[in-house]
Amino acid sequence: MSKAGAAREPSSSRAVPLYIAATTLAAVVSMWWAWDAANPFADPVALITLLVLGVLSMLVRERDVGANITFSFLSIIVIASVVLVGPVGSALVGALSMGLERGTRTLHARLFNASMFALQGVVGGMVYLAVGGSLKLEEVVGAPALIMHVGIPLMVADVAQMLVNAVLLAGVVRLSTGIPPRRFIVQMVTNSGVAYIGYGVIGFLFVILWGPADVGWFSAVLILAPLYVARWAFVQYGEEQRAHERTLSALVTAVETKDPSAAGHSGRIARLAEWMAEPLSMGTQEVQALVYAAMLHDVGKVGVPTRLLRRPRTWTPADVEALTHHSALGVVLVREIEFLNGSLAGIRHHHERWDGLGYPDGLAGDEIPLVSRVIAVADAFDALTTDRAERPAFAPQQALRQIEQRRGRQFDPHVVAALATVLERHDWPITSADEDELDRMRGYLDHDDPIAWEQVWATTPPLRPAVTGPGPTPHPVADEPSPPHPAAGKAEDVPVAEQVRAP
Amino acid sequence: MRSALRDLPSRLRLHRLLPVLSIAVAAGAVAAAVASPQVSLQDWGILLVFAVVIAVGEVNRIVLPGGRETAPMSLAAGYALAMTWEVGETHRVEFTAGVVVAVTTVGMLAGAVPALLRRSPVRADDLAARFLSVAVVAILFRHVVVWDGQPLLTLQESWSSTRWVTAISMVLVSGIALFVQAFCVALATASRDHRPFWRSLVDEVRQGAGLGAALAASGTLIALAERPMGVVALPVFLIPLVLTQFAIRRYAGIRETYGQTIRALSRLTEIGGYTRRDHPARVAALSVAMGRDLGMSDRDTLDLEYAALLHDIGQVALREPIPGGATMMAAPADQDRIARDGAGIVRQTGVLDNVAVILESQSKPYRQVRELGEDLPLASRIIKVANAYDDLVGEARARRARKHASAIERIHLGLGYEYDPRVVEALIRVLDRRAAVVGAG
Repeated sequence: MSKAGAAREPSSSRAVPLYIAATTLAAVVSMWWAWDAANPFADPVALITLLVLGVLSMLVRERDVGANITFSFLSIIVIASVVLVGPVGSALVGALSMGLERGTRTLHARLFNASMFALQGVVGGMVYLAVGGSLKLEEVVGAPALIMHVGIPLMVADVAQMLVNAVLLAGVVRLSTGIPPRRFIVQMVTNSGVAYIGYGVIGFLFVILWGPADVGWFSAVLILAPLYVARWAFVQYGEEQRAHERTLSALVTAVETKDPSAAGHSGRIARLAEWMAEPLSMGTQEVQALVYAAMLHDVGKVGVPTRLLRRPRTWTPADVEALTHHSALGVVLVREIEFLNGSLAGIRHHHERWDGLGYPDGLAGDEIPLVSRVIAVADAFDALTTDRAERPAFAPQQALRQIEQRRGRQFDPHVVAALATVLERHDWPITSADEDELDRMRGYLDHDDPIAWEQVWATTPPLRPAVTGPGPTPHPVADEPSPPHPAAGKAEDVPVAEQVRAP
Repeated sequence: MRSALRDLPSRLRLHRLLPVLSIAVAAGAVAAAVASPQVSLQDWGILLVFAVVIAVGEVNRIVLPGGRETAPMSLAAGYALAMTWEVGETHRVEFTAGVVVAVTTVGMLAGAVPALLRRSPVRADDLAARFLSVAVVAILFRHVVVWDGQPLLTLQESWSSTRWVTAISMVLVSGIALFVQAFCVALATASRDHRPFWRSLVDEVRQGAGLGAALAASGTLIALAERPMGVVALPVFLIPLVLTQFAIRRYAGIRETYGQTIRALSRLTEIGGYTRRDHPARVAALSVAMGRDLGMSDRDTLDLEYAALLHDIGQVALREPIPGGATMMAAPADQDRIARDGAGIVRQTGVLDNVAVILESQSKPYRQVRELGEDLPLASRIIKVANAYDDLVGEARARRARKHASAIERIHLGLGYEYDPRVVEALIRVLDRRAAVVGAG
């Protein structure tokens, strides 16, 4: 059962209570109709065990297992109940477990969920019998017979249960939120289809162990123990993943501490870059790499001497050159984090220019990774829409015009078009700064701001060959402590970092 | 005396002994298998399926969070084989524990072949521990008399109406075997990492408990399901365990990634020119060795490692680097500020509070414990000593011995005032062992 597997609080429109009443009525009628198929009280020990298990499974349930993995012990128990205590028994197990679910739910939601699970139980049970499933397990002998008369019918019943779940939920969601039922059903089946097959298989194992292997109630312990451990590990995974995300953003914050004018910049351009990925129809993996590259594109600034970032001063070519090393230094910093491998090229080349005059490698046009081209545009756009000491922020449309003027020279025209599309769809607030913040930024050169950077470029003509040469050494820290930036004009002496260059 | 006893596993080189013991058991089993009554053709077929699954399980080993290696599918199949008695409703197997152990040997060795071909190391002591635990199940279940002159194998025939009793007895036998495995691994780690044995055992049991429960249940499941399902039960009933293994692998994967990110964070100061190259990594390695020596738990050791990696991160906020990045040389007030800033940065993550606490106290002198009764975390005291040592020795390869001697002397001068004597003792033990390794190599 996915997140959507149980109804959220339905809205109080009149159609919803009627729908719930109809579902409940259908559940009661179908149970009465299916009663003759099998007496649920024939094996009271089984019924009580399954009921207890079902209720327990709802008590231990945590809403968010994390990592898009959903896990429902109750679905396993309900599908196994179909064979062990028959259609009505299965309905009772499902309804009671859902009815007693922990947590603050409205009576309506509780009633609806209980009725839905009752219907799932009955429909699953009747389908199981209809396709030749056997309720007399002692008569089914041998692996082939067990698969033919228990396994396969159980899988069919499992699919039927999933459909009942999806259809009933689609109805209630349609009434309370207006989402078209067809889209909802397709979405649910694609999201939780695999999980349902898993429930069916494990339900089958459960049944075999209970009946043919004669283990009885204890089989629940044996089957559920590995699953419980799996679930525990998934929960841990989710927690560690969240912890990791936060630590990664701490890495960014640490750099931004160094440079007060950059506060929040990385987070903003990561969001903008993710928006721009859509009109550029980038794949999921590439978007992942893009977002991380955008988050971390400036981490290398930590290797730029603080005085260059903070103190009001005039710039020498050596200073500017030291600043340009940050894109390659960023790669040095994060290249040992395996999952960022896809983002390294994006970080290294985010200051390349479409006309080949950028740094560190002077790539041009399509040679520049798409990820870098997107970051370059997003980076400049965010810089322009941020208040600076020497100028107020550009409004988004003005900033866009500035960027469009540099289309085909500094920026990839396609990517600029994507930015224009994004700005039609999303609001982009400018980042304003108060007096104190502006004061702290004074004298600071925003290397992302294309206008400011062009001025630097124009006033330091000998810079170009030095900057667009090979990148700095991948190990900038010498044995003896020294500033990590080689002096101007020395860049050629340093070995080219081939391994960093490879995408 | 205490330390002599503590170091006993290391002195005996138990982590080397374990594989030797396994080879002896395997050889004995093969001999017993050859001498035992003839195994029928049908039983050979069953044994072959088990050997293949054990080998496949060995190939698909996983590394648990915390670094221990294990092979859940192989172990579950081994346990199931050791407890197999009826395969199909009518067929009863007739092999002894010797045959079980011999087949397990073949499966496990076959499973190690791909790793050997790739020249990646096979952890012999972990493999030996797995092998021995299967042998324990086989002997306990098939030969040890528990009641009325019978072993469990024949005894459980009389429980056919209450088969859950059989299931429980199987789970118990598996539990004992898992404990034996944990015991062996703990001996090996205590010996290899110079840790107190009881601490290794506690960690081993704690880390292995979850997976162990899943393993014991799976072995039992398969052995019981073989009666109605035949040998098909083996692959089919491994499904829940495969899911468990998948989940644990993802968990271990994200833990690994997390570690990489922390290491990258630790290099922030290095790339910024604040600290010498690899200083955080060296301090972390030294701190972890000292923490293990002092008997810290795995959980605490991980926090210690992260804190040691990040101990200089507060320098990022400094305007200009300290000469040589050596915080040890900085004024106490600066040291405190770096510690506070670092803790602040780390606390921002919201998830590394333990590490932040360690960082906050890393600059405090030990006398605050004695004079003011303050409670400094052990991890902070360890990092203080390890950091001082690394700052004093530096990385100059020449004059290393002399630098080492003078560093130790300077630390001794601060003994009891600046540094915790117990931690300094651990430092000296760790360094002595390193010197011994270097000298021997």
